[in-house]
Amino acid sequence: MFKEERNYNKFTWRDLGDIERGRPNLGLTVPVLAYRLLQYTLRDVLITESGVDKANDIFIKAGRLAGVQFCENLLNRELGFNEFIAQLQQVLKEQVIGILRIEKADMENMRFTLVVAEDLDCSGLPFTDEVVCQYDEGFIAGIFEAYTGKPFSVREIDCWASGERVCRFVAREVKVDK
Amino acid sequence: MIEEVIEKLAILLQGRIPSRIDIERFDNEIEHELGEMLNQFIDFMQEIQEIIVPLSQGELQDIKLQSKNFLASPFKELHSRLLHLTWQATQVANGDYKQRVDFMGDFSEAFNSMIISLDHNEKLLKKKIDELEKALSHITKLEGILPICSNCKRIRLEGAAPENQDSWIQIESYISKRTEAQFSHGICPECMKKLYPELMK
Repeated sequence: MFKEERNYNKFTWRDLGDIERGRPNLGLTVPVLAYRLLQYTLRDVLITESGVDKANDIFIKAGRLAGVQFCENLLNRELGFNEFIAQLQQVLKEQVIGILRIEKADMENMRFTLVVAEDLDCSGLPFTDEVVCQYDEGFIAGIFEAYTGKPFSVREIDCWASGERVCRFVAREVKVDK
Repeated sequence: MIEEVIEKLAILLQGRIPSRIDIERFDNEIEHELGEMLNQFIDFMQEIQEIIVPLSQGELQDIKLQSKNFLASPFKELHSRLLHLTWQATQVANGDYKQRVDFMGDFSEAFNSMIISLDHNEKLLKKKIDELEKALSHITKLEGILPICSNCKRIRLEGAAPENQDSWIQIESYISKRTEAQFSHGICPECMKKLYPELMK
């Protein structure tokens, strides 16, 4: 899995292992700082090795991969949109990832404004006048793609690091010319 | 300079927005910086005042605050939550009772209880309607004026010729065909006396 050269992704949910069996005493969750240590150090190295754009691109792609697997394994994709969102909100809360809130949903044009409060990636970050949740952008896009079967683009428009107190994303379906 | 700053702060403390300080006239670096910070403070307070009125009136769509206005952070959060609640309330109005409000204290509890009650009451109502519809489907009404033979009590079929004997059928057949009622036959005491007087002795 991690030692072979390849030019395609092969991550699946099974690669996460049997966490319950592996951590009978410590349990399923870790502190947010452990998650952020991994993400921020990895990101720091990626920036120095590959540049900011490439590092962001990698984070978006990784997030997308995670979002698709998350949706396929933890969510019921047969539900109608509103019920799916209610379920997503519930699962994100149970998994202590963040508090999802939909602010606007334009079903006709498949364009959504959603907010993640207490976001795992950035809540509490100091003001740096930038949005930093590229992994979340990919993650949300992956979830919407796995649910709708259509390509999605997600852009973060507000972030703790840009001075907001929530992360705000605009998700929209990417129309593909036939 | 200090008098001017005090005057501006006094106005702010009264809940009003003063004019900005003209900082170009200050050569002293500290005075310049102080004036700049006070102006930023005035701008932030003005921005808050400008959005809090529409926010309190429920006009949520066109509100946008400067990202650097940290004084407005609670209002930004309130704005975001109100937008979300508006969306959720719309979904509930459309009959989606799966929505829940998280981490908004007493409001969450009240809103979620309301949705659960609405859901419960609607299910109860639907069940009652279903029961009533089922009951209604078992009831067949007989309406109108029925022509009946004053002697044998046969009823004439609708539109049938009165002079034709086949037009007249037994009242039991007539009712059985048009309703779900059924008849069991017996003889009343008066008829018994007429028909079987020997048995009545």
